[in-house]
Amino acid sequence: MNLDSSDATRSSKLPASWRVTLPEFEGPLDLLLELVKVNEVAITDIPVALVCDQFHEYLSLMEELDLDIAGEYIYEAALLIQIKSRLLLPRPVGAQEDEEDPREELMRRLLEYEQMKAAAATLAETDSVRSGMWARPSSRRDFTEIGEEGEAEAIELEEVSLYDVLLAFRTSLDRYTREHPSPLHYAGESFPVRAQFERLLGSAQQGRPLDLVDDLLALSCRAEAVAAFLAILELSRLQLLRLHKTDGGSILLYRTTNTLAQEDLEAIQG
Amino acid sequence: MTANNEMEGAIEAILFVATEPVAQEKLCGLFPGEEKAEVLEALEGVLARYRGDSARGVMVDMAGGGARLVTRPQFHGYLRNYFQVSSRTKLSMASLETLAIIAYRQPVTAPEIQELRGVNSSGVLKTLLEHRLIRIAGRKEVVGKPFLYCTSKGFLLRFGLNRLKDLPPLEEIDELLAGQLEVGTSGEADRDGTSGTLLLWQKQEDEQEPSASEEEE
Repeated sequence: MNLDSSDATRSSKLPASWRVTLPEFEGPLDLLLELVKVNEVAITDIPVALVCDQFHEYLSLMEELDLDIAGEYIYEAALLIQIKSRLLLPRPVGAQEDEEDPREELMRRLLEYEQMKAAAATLAETDSVRSGMWARPSSRRDFTEIGEEGEAEAIELEEVSLYDVLLAFRTSLDRYTREHPSPLHYAGESFPVRAQFERLLGSAQQGRPLDLVDDLLALSCRAEAVAAFLAILELSRLQLLRLHKTDGGSILLYRTTNTLAQEDLEAIQG
Repeated sequence: MTANNEMEGAIEAILFVATEPVAQEKLCGLFPGEEKAEVLEALEGVLARYRGDSARGVMVDMAGGGARLVTRPQFHGYLRNYFQVSSRTKLSMASLETLAIIAYRQPVTAPEIQELRGVNSSGVLKTLLEHRLIRIAGRKEVVGKPFLYCTSKGFLLRFGLNRLKDLPPLEEIDELLAGQLEVGTSGEADRDGTSGTLLLWQKQEDEQEPSASEEEE
């Protein structure tokens, strides 16, 4: 879609008065309706090519002014282009005379929208007169509170609708989560075998042999002991630790003089 | 006749105190010995007491399925100053469009409203629900089960209607459009207007509006 506004020939098509102030519309249909009115054409016979160009012109103006173009406008613009292209296509030879006008759907929507807009205007007119009519405030409505807060709106207690109940439920849920922050979760600590390598090598480094059973007993839990045990097996396989049995039956761990490149150690599955 | 006078007085007294529109059936229940027609005649008598006399501060408003006493619109400014209450929130054009669609097409879903207006209306629907002008009347048995929206009793009261049938027929709106009659949203200009009757849907009134707003300018 071409929203390029530098096209001087197209710029001239937009009503001159719009160049100063960009009127606001309730939506794409409102804009289309205004274009129909400005061009003094009938909804039932819209010059689509002209209106389509002007519609796009408006969009590029919006873009120029850095206004967000709502998706609805883009959608309608695409529809206009589609109608325009359908009108341009040559009709197949022998096509029915009463073939549907490509503008039919747009026409119907515009007429309907125009009707609802007029109905809305009638409502607005009635509302503006009736807003000056005050009824006796319901006994459940408290006017005294307003005096202090100045321009506050009257508090009205009325029948409860489904919407109110839903809203109340949502509010209570929100408040519950706010007032009851989720409890601290003890996510079962994990003990990677790899972490034990460093500890074991470090401890055995100091020249003193480690007693396997003592070492395992000093650990925090069973899982950690299992990890340490696996690490010991792994380290002895790599010949970084040597295991000796004493006369008393206890097993001692000795650090060997072997060294292992860091990447080799990391290659071991933890 | 004395009975009639007494009924008129009683009805007026009830209207004075009532905070909600007083339904005719409820009034009839108060006078068990009387024919319904008699009671209605008495009510009509009360209406006549307030009708047309614009020097009075109050009038009887027939809306929302009953009668109630309301202040005449031209005294709005004094009331606002005295009670220090902000005026009723004016509905935006988007709200009014959506409200009109719901009023004439109800029950209607949000996607159907969007189709008609060409824009998403969910924010507007929320506002209307909060103003209690519309209500949710169930869900439509289609994909997604969208809510069905209807107008509420508050809508009838706000727009001076007794029943939905009292809405101006769409044909009349079409005539209005065909006649190129400007039904602008002249807002404030009408508030202090002297339009005494409140049967706002009378066409003669509609035709008077443009001149009123011209004077304002």
